[in-house]
Amino acid sequence: MKNKLTGALICVGLAAFSFSSQAEELRLLTWGGYAPQPVIDQFEKETGIEVKVTLSNNEDMISKLRATRGAGFDLAQPSQDRIIGAQKEFRIYKPLEISKIDESQYVASMLESTKGSTSVNGKIYGVPHVWGTSGLIAHTDNARQSYRFSDLCSDQYKGKVSYRLKRPTLIAFAFDMGEDPFAAYNDPVKYQQILQKVEQKLIACKDNVKAYWSGGDALINLLRSGEVTLAMGWDAGGWKLSQETGNINFIPPATGALGWIDTFALPAKGKNDEAAYKWINFVNRPEIAAMITASAGQFTASAGAASFVEDGLSNSYKASFDQAALDNIKWYPPVPAGLETMEGKVLDRIKAAH
Amino acid sequence: MSSEIDLRATNLCKNFDNFEAVKDVNFSIPRGSFFSILGPSGCGKTTLLRMLAGFLEPTSGEIEIKGRSMLGIPPNKRPVNMVFQHLALFPMMTVAENIAYGLKRRKMKKPEITKRVESALERIGLPDVGNRSISQLSGGQKQRIAIARCLVLEPDVLLLDEPLGALDLKLREHMKIELKKLQQAFDTTFIYITHDQSEAMVMSDTVAVMNEGRFEQVGAPQDLYYHPQTPFVAGFVGESNRFSGSVVNREGETVEVITESGQRFVAREKFDKKLNSEEQVDLFVRPEMIHLSYEKGDKSDNNLSGQVENILFDGGNSRLLIREQVTGAELQVVLPQTQAFSRVKGGDELHLCWNAEQSHVYRSGLAS
Amino acid sequence: MKISTGPRLGLYLLLTPLLLTLALLILFPHLEMLNISLRERISYGVYKFSLTNYGEFFTEPLYWITFVRTAWMSILTTVITLLIAFPVAWYIAKVARGKTKGMLFLACLIPFWVSELVRTYGWMILLRETGVVSNFLQWLGLVDGPVEMLYNDVTVMVGLVYTSMLFMVVPLITTLDGLDDSMVEAAYDLGGNGWNALWEVIVPYAMPGIVSGCIVVFMLTLGNYLTPTLLGGKDSLWFTEQIFTQFITRFNWEQGAAFGVLLLILSSLIVWLGLKLSGQSFRDTMSR
Repeated sequence: MKNKLTGALICVGLAAFSFSSQAEELRLLTWGGYAPQPVIDQFEKETGIEVKVTLSNNEDMISKLRATRGAGFDLAQPSQDRIIGAQKEFRIYKPLEISKIDESQYVASMLESTKGSTSVNGKIYGVPHVWGTSGLIAHTDNARQSYRFSDLCSDQYKGKVSYRLKRPTLIAFAFDMGEDPFAAYNDPVKYQQILQKVEQKLIACKDNVKAYWSGGDALINLLRSGEVTLAMGWDAGGWKLSQETGNINFIPPATGALGWIDTFALPAKGKNDEAAYKWINFVNRPEIAAMITASAGQFTASAGAASFVEDGLSNSYKASFDQAALDNIKWYPPVPAGLETMEGKVLDRIKAAH
Repeated sequence: MSSEIDLRATNLCKNFDNFEAVKDVNFSIPRGSFFSILGPSGCGKTTLLRMLAGFLEPTSGEIEIKGRSMLGIPPNKRPVNMVFQHLALFPMMTVAENIAYGLKRRKMKKPEITKRVESALERIGLPDVGNRSISQLSGGQKQRIAIARCLVLEPDVLLLDEPLGALDLKLREHMKIELKKLQQAFDTTFIYITHDQSEAMVMSDTVAVMNEGRFEQVGAPQDLYYHPQTPFVAGFVGESNRFSGSVVNREGETVEVITESGQRFVAREKFDKKLNSEEQVDLFVRPEMIHLSYEKGDKSDNNLSGQVENILFDGGNSRLLIREQVTGAELQVVLPQTQAFSRVKGGDELHLCWNAEQSHVYRSGLAS
Repeated sequence: MKISTGPRLGLYLLLTPLLLTLALLILFPHLEMLNISLRERISYGVYKFSLTNYGEFFTEPLYWITFVRTAWMSILTTVITLLIAFPVAWYIAKVARGKTKGMLFLACLIPFWVSELVRTYGWMILLRETGVVSNFLQWLGLVDGPVEMLYNDVTVMVGLVYTSMLFMVVPLITTLDGLDDSMVEAAYDLGGNGWNALWEVIVPYAMPGIVSGCIVVFMLTLGNYLTPTLLGGKDSLWFTEQIFTQFITRFNWEQGAAFGVLLLILSSLIVWLGLKLSGQSFRDTMSR
């Protein structure tokens, strides 16, 4: 009886195993817009590998991979600042073999900085893919030139403001108050002081907020309907509204937009690394990268993709960023473990305040 | 028993849309009597009872209790209480709480309530069940609790809506006697509706036979049985052999009737007088009025012969189904419990006879 | 011996799937939650046994205030749902007949054919500043400018009551269906008025339905995540949201697990207290 049962289990297991290995597939954990259908179709046509997409965000990616200790996906796309901490804490990624990646397709400076910020013990865990910034999205008809993050707290926008109740908002206000939170990343005491100031400010002007947004689409809806006229958000959302309405656009604030890079990283128990490398090299081709830019509204680290990007988006981009604004972008350094707990309590208290 | 009138209904009518459920009913009930309303289902007896209780307003007519008009007075303000068909005891209360419910509504003091509940339980012979829940009681006990719950309020009139219907036969027989005793013990006027003539006959001082919204006859059970005034009463109260025919001859008050199947019967006129020749009539003979014998006789007014077709054995209530020789008509006759008939069997030839005054004859076309 | 063990073995074999389901799907996850909640992170991947996570709940006012608020609003939702559902259930069970009865019941059921998310977004479309209700009020001339009806406690309550209605109506209809009409008539006949009939007869009779409806609605509301979060907006504080945040955005499984265990214990405590106060026993309620 027992032997029969074991036998049956083995059969089922073998069947499942052979089934999964037969049709080669790539299980991709990524953001909305990063793997548009045309790109997936072309990849399948070229390689015969089926791509299965799961949409996610930074926290969700870490949670999902943590729950399975890095199994269930072959390739993930966390932001570059969220790799080291998660890796040290939960060991959910495995190192990349850089030799398998065609480095010539990359904007060199972006590749180097990402390698640097995703290294643990000399091993590299991430290469860049899509980058973007967080800043302000505003109705621009009043011909105003300069915006600050603290405008989110000004009476002019009372009840018409929206932002995410997440760490980028805390960082943004810290910069606005003249602090450098990134410099304080490794000084918990100093960082706590900065957070306290930010907390007081955000609680004091909570009345200004219409709603905390949680998804890009929700924010776009709020701005489009005019229920919100000033928001902190991603550049892509601003550009989308700019092309749609003409009078709403993304604006880098005076203290600089906050720059992030979403990467490619290999989950610790991924089963198809070869397919993952093929995908990385595939999406870095300029014409493919341009398709992703069109779909996500964000630019990629692929060198030479700019010439394939359509005019509307590149005009909106140019209206937002001049050279000075570009130089002023504050790129997120890796987040040391423990900061998120401190930030979490601050965010909870802001949420609870009246 | 005084002759004072407890409840009087005058020209009572109730219409539902175009349907007349109760038509011009009149009656009065003396204090302390047991009054039954007997009728087939759908005859309007429940409608009548609900008007007395106050759940329905009459379309026209008057209801008076102790001389006070009840029109427009809601059920909770009438000196009338009702025992429902399924008793409607409150299952979430104990027996004592059930009985106390009405007293509490009268804002009576607690010790007084307790005293009255105890005495009521004693009077119905269930002194120790106060703390039980309703589901722990037997059918007969529930019956008595439902009655006690009403009687503890000392109503002028107690209405009972076929409360014995759900009981099995033995218990029903027992409860008939029990109810009669309770009524006498509490000396309250009972109005009891039923479709079971035996219940009505056994318990009642007066029975009203109701049919199609009307009272056909009101009287003592003996009256209804021996002197039914209408063909409906003759057919509904007790058992009867019924024949339809026409009058062929008359001598004084005695008429000769020939039935459709050709039998000739002689009957005495009682309520419908002056039946003319050729007039269509209904004739009723009770099975227990027919004399049976093995020898032919000619002493009686009606003499028939027939063969035993079937024996409907029911102990003391046994009947014979006899097919008449000449016409082939069927008659039911009570099987006498005498030695002579102890071996009667199918196919036996028997002779039947009865006198003219033992049958009832009515003009037909008045009732079904 | 063999004869006596035979049937017993059969019984165990029959029970095995049930026991396995209970163990694997209910018991083990909870034990694992308990286990996680009882450890504290020292450094990367190093944990020790500690009650800190539970201490955090009681020492940080934010957390227990959130719980008290959640519990209080859930109780209020339960009461309001009961008050609205009772007449509805009464009408469906006792007044409506035949086809109407079926139609009304269906009307209660229809909102549950779409997911809770869609239902909640439906409310948001109606109530937002540029939404249907706001525009209608402006068109009527009752208000001067757009009105924001989202993002406050009243709206959250409306959404929660709406979501809970069915779960109150169904057990109430089931119990009220069994109530003999003549019992209400008897309540009148014996001298009671409408109020007495309701409080002395109908409500006590429907008590099992009321209690089971209340337990279901309370637990569902307490564990609801979408409605309070979406309709509550910036001030929405809901305990399940806190648990979600701890697990998903803070990676603090230890704290989240502790909150989860606390939610289980405290909500059971509230239900127990409710049963005690209303004089009902859990066994009676479930067996009737």
